[in-house]
Amino acid sequence: MKRHPLVVVVLTVAATLGAVQIFGCGASRSAKSLAAEKVYVPPGELDKYYGFLSGGQSGSVFVVGIPSGRLLREIPVFEPRAAYGYAMNDTDPRRQLLDATGGAWGDTHHPMLSEKNGVFDGRYLWINDLANGRLARIRLDYFETDRIIKIPNLQGAHGIAVVSPDTRYIVVNGEFEQPTDGLVTNPAPYTSVVAFVEPESMVVKFEVRVNGNIDIADTSKDGRYSFSTVYNLEQGKDMGSMIQYDRDAVAAIDIPLAEKLAGEGRGEVRNGVPILDPAQHAGLMTLIPVPKNPHGVNATPDGRYVIASGKLSPTVTIIDAKTLAIVAEPEVGLGPLHTTFDDRGNAFTSLFLDSQVVKWNIDRAVKGASDYIVDRINVHYNIGHLQAVGGDSMRPSGDYLLALNKLSKDQYLPVGPDLPENQEIIDISGEQMKMLASFPTPPEPHDATFISASVLQSIVKQVYTPTDDAVAVGKESVVRTGPHSVAVNMTLIRSAYTPDTFEVKEGDIVTMKITNVETIRDMIHGFALPDHNLNVALPPGDTKTVTFAAGKPGAYWFYCTNFCSALHLEMRGRMLVQPKDSTVTLTDWHAGENVKGQVVPGVPSTGARP
Amino acid sequence: MTRKALYLAAAAITASALALPFWGFAMSAPQYPGETLQLQVGREGITGDVHEVETLQHYIGVRFPTELPELRWVTRGILGLAGLLLLAAFTAESRLGRVYRGACALVFVLLLGASAAVVQGRLYQVGHERNPNAPIRAIRDFTPPLVGPVKVGNFTVWSFPHVGAALLLAASGLALFGTRAPARRPTGHGRRLHARQNEAAA
Repeated sequence: MKRHPLVVVVLTVAATLGAVQIFGCGASRSAKSLAAEKVYVPPGELDKYYGFLSGGQSGSVFVVGIPSGRLLREIPVFEPRAAYGYAMNDTDPRRQLLDATGGAWGDTHHPMLSEKNGVFDGRYLWINDLANGRLARIRLDYFETDRIIKIPNLQGAHGIAVVSPDTRYIVVNGEFEQPTDGLVTNPAPYTSVVAFVEPESMVVKFEVRVNGNIDIADTSKDGRYSFSTVYNLEQGKDMGSMIQYDRDAVAAIDIPLAEKLAGEGRGEVRNGVPILDPAQHAGLMTLIPVPKNPHGVNATPDGRYVIASGKLSPTVTIIDAKTLAIVAEPEVGLGPLHTTFDDRGNAFTSLFLDSQVVKWNIDRAVKGASDYIVDRINVHYNIGHLQAVGGDSMRPSGDYLLALNKLSKDQYLPVGPDLPENQEIIDISGEQMKMLASFPTPPEPHDATFISASVLQSIVKQVYTPTDDAVAVGKESVVRTGPHSVAVNMTLIRSAYTPDTFEVKEGDIVTMKITNVETIRDMIHGFALPDHNLNVALPPGDTKTVTFAAGKPGAYWFYCTNFCSALHLEMRGRMLVQPKDSTVTLTDWHAGENVKGQVVPGVPSTGARP
Repeated sequence: MTRKALYLAAAAITASALALPFWGFAMSAPQYPGETLQLQVGREGITGDVHEVETLQHYIGVRFPTELPELRWVTRGILGLAGLLLLAAFTAESRLGRVYRGACALVFVLLLGASAAVVQGRLYQVGHERNPNAPIRAIRDFTPPLVGPVKVGNFTVWSFPHVGAALLLAASGLALFGTRAPARRPTGHGRRLHARQNEAAA
C-alpha cells in the first residue's frame, strides 16, 4: 500500500510530539520534584540558615530562611515602619537619630556579619546607607537597629566589609568623590576616603584618601589588608571621562600601618577624623592595576587570593593576597560583577550581561589550565550579587548559592509596572549547578549573607528584660507636669490598657511612657492613637516613650494594633481631650484609684500566698 | 536495714518534702508550642508561670486562689509527722512500741488522705466558683482530677503529685513497713543457720 507522503509526515510529527509529551514532561516533572525536595521545609520545621538580604531602597534588611526562601521579617533601619512601630513619631529617639544623620530613608547594599576566628559569631550585622553616607549596626539578639552613624568626610557609603578574622574594624568605602577641602569652587580633582570604624564604639578611627571612586570592599583573611575596587582613577566628573584609562585598580590598604600612622597623629584631622594620605606614606596603599571600572572584590576562604571582577572586561583578576601580585586574569563571561566560593576550591562569578552564574576552579585558573570553567547556569535576569552560604567566611558550606537578580521580567504574575525582584536558590553541592527555587522580594536586595541557624538560634531573645525605667503594674499614673503638659505612665497586658482612660486639654504636650508587662514570647501589643500620627509596637517587656500634642477636643480611642487575644478588639481605651478653655479641673490619677472607680480587668494580682 | 534506720530515713524524707512542691499542674494549648505552662503548689504557696496563668484566667472567669490557709496546717502536720517518725526510731520491741508505730502509720495515712481531700476541694472550687460575667461563655464548669488531665477550653490541664508528695508517699510506705520490720536484721550466724534449715527442708 502506498502512503501519501503528507500522511507520513503528519504521523511522524504527531508521534514525536507524543513522545516528547510523555517522556519529556515526565523527566522535567521528576527534576522539579527533586529540586522541590531540596528547598521544601514542611510547616512547623525550621530552615537551616538565616539569610540577611539588604533592602536596597527600602532602607531595611530582609531576613529569609534558607533553603525555603520564606520571608521571616524585615528589620527597619533607615526608614520608619509603622508595623514595627519603628521611628514613626517625630519624638521617637530613633526618628530623631535618622533625621539628624541624613533623613528618614536609606539605600542599604551590603549586610556584613561580625566574625570571630574567621566565622560568623551572630553578634552584629552591619549595613550601609549609600545615599546618606551612614553605617548602621543591628543587634542579632533582638534583631533590631542598635546604632547609626554618619561617616564624616565621605559621600556615598558603598562597599563595606568586616576586617577578618576578628572584626577589628568595619571598612566603609566612599564612592562619590568630593572636593578635598569641601569647597565646590576648588577646581582641583575630587577625592574620596576609605573609613575604618571601630565595631563596638562605632567611632570612625581613621580614613585613608583615595583618588577615585571607591566601590566594593573586602579584607584579607589575616586582617593585614583591606581591598577596595577603585574606578575613575581619571578623577573625571562625567561618565565619558571616567572610562578613559585602560586599567583602574584594587586599592590594598595596609591596616596595621594605617593604624600606626593614625596613632602617631600623622593624619590631617577633618571633622574629628584623621585622614591619611597615601602620597605621604610609602606602603600605606598599593594600587593593583586591574581592567578598567572593576566591580566586586572577594577574598578566597583559604586567604590565598583576592578576586576582582572585571564588569566591563570579561575577566576576573586573581591577586595573591600576601604579595599583592596578579597571578592570573582568566576570562569568565560577559559582565562579571561578584564572586563567591564553595568549600572545594571553586569560585562562582555572577555575569550581569550573560545573566549567568559561572563556576570555575581557582587552582586550574591560576595554573593557566584551559579547563578551569566547570559549569554555567542561566539566571533570571541580570544578576548582581551572588552569595554562597559561608562563601564570605573562612568556612563555606558548599551547599546553597543565592543569585540576586536585578530584573524579574516574566518570572512572576504581572503586578503592574513595578516588578518584584527575583532571588534564585541554586544547589552547588554537586559538580553541576542546579536551579532549585526562586522567591520574589520588594525592592531591592543587593547583597546577602547567611549564618547557620544553629549558631544564631541560641543567641536570639524573644522577650525583653524590663529596663529600670519600665512602668510597673500598680505604678501607672496620669500626672499634669505643667500648665500645658501631661505625663502618662501606662502598662498593657491582655487585654487592657492601664489606665484605660485619661483626660487632657487641647494642645497639651502628652508624654506617654508605655510598658508591655507580658512575659511570654510573641505577645506584642500596639498603641495606635487615631488622628495623632501614632502607632507604637511593644514586644513583651518593652518600654517606649512617645510625645505628641493633643488634637481637637473629642474622644480618641487608642487601640491594640497587634492581634493578641480573644479580647483584642475590645483592647482599647480613650484619650478625652477637653477644649483649651475648658473650666473642668483635671486631677492627677494614680493606679489603685481608677478613673471610673472600678477594677481594671486583666491586671494580675500577686501570686497566692499561704 | 534496721527499724531504727528505717524510721530515721522516714523522718528525714518527710521533713525534706517541705522544701519541695507538693502538687503540680501542667497546662498545654496549641498556641504554647513546646512550652507547657507550669504551676507548683508548695509550702510557700503557688509558684511557676503564675503571671501568665493569671493573665489568662480572667477570660474564662476562673479565680486564682489568692489565699491558701490550709498550707499552714499542712506544714505543721508534716513537721509533726517528721517528729513522730523520729521518735518511732527509738521505740522498743514492746506492745506500747508497736501501738505507737501503728499510730504513726495511721496518722500519716490520715494526713495524706485529708490533704488529698483538700486539694480535690480546691480543684472543684477553681472549676465551679467562676465569675458569671467572664468574657468567654463557651467554658462549662469543670473539676480537675487529683491526678490526670482535664480539658478546659483550648487547654489540657494535667494535675499530678509533685516531688514533695512523692516523697511523702514514700515516707508513708516506710512508716507502714515499719510496723512490721524487725528491730535488727539477722546476724551472720543466724542467716547461715536459716540457709541450712532451708536446705534440709528441701
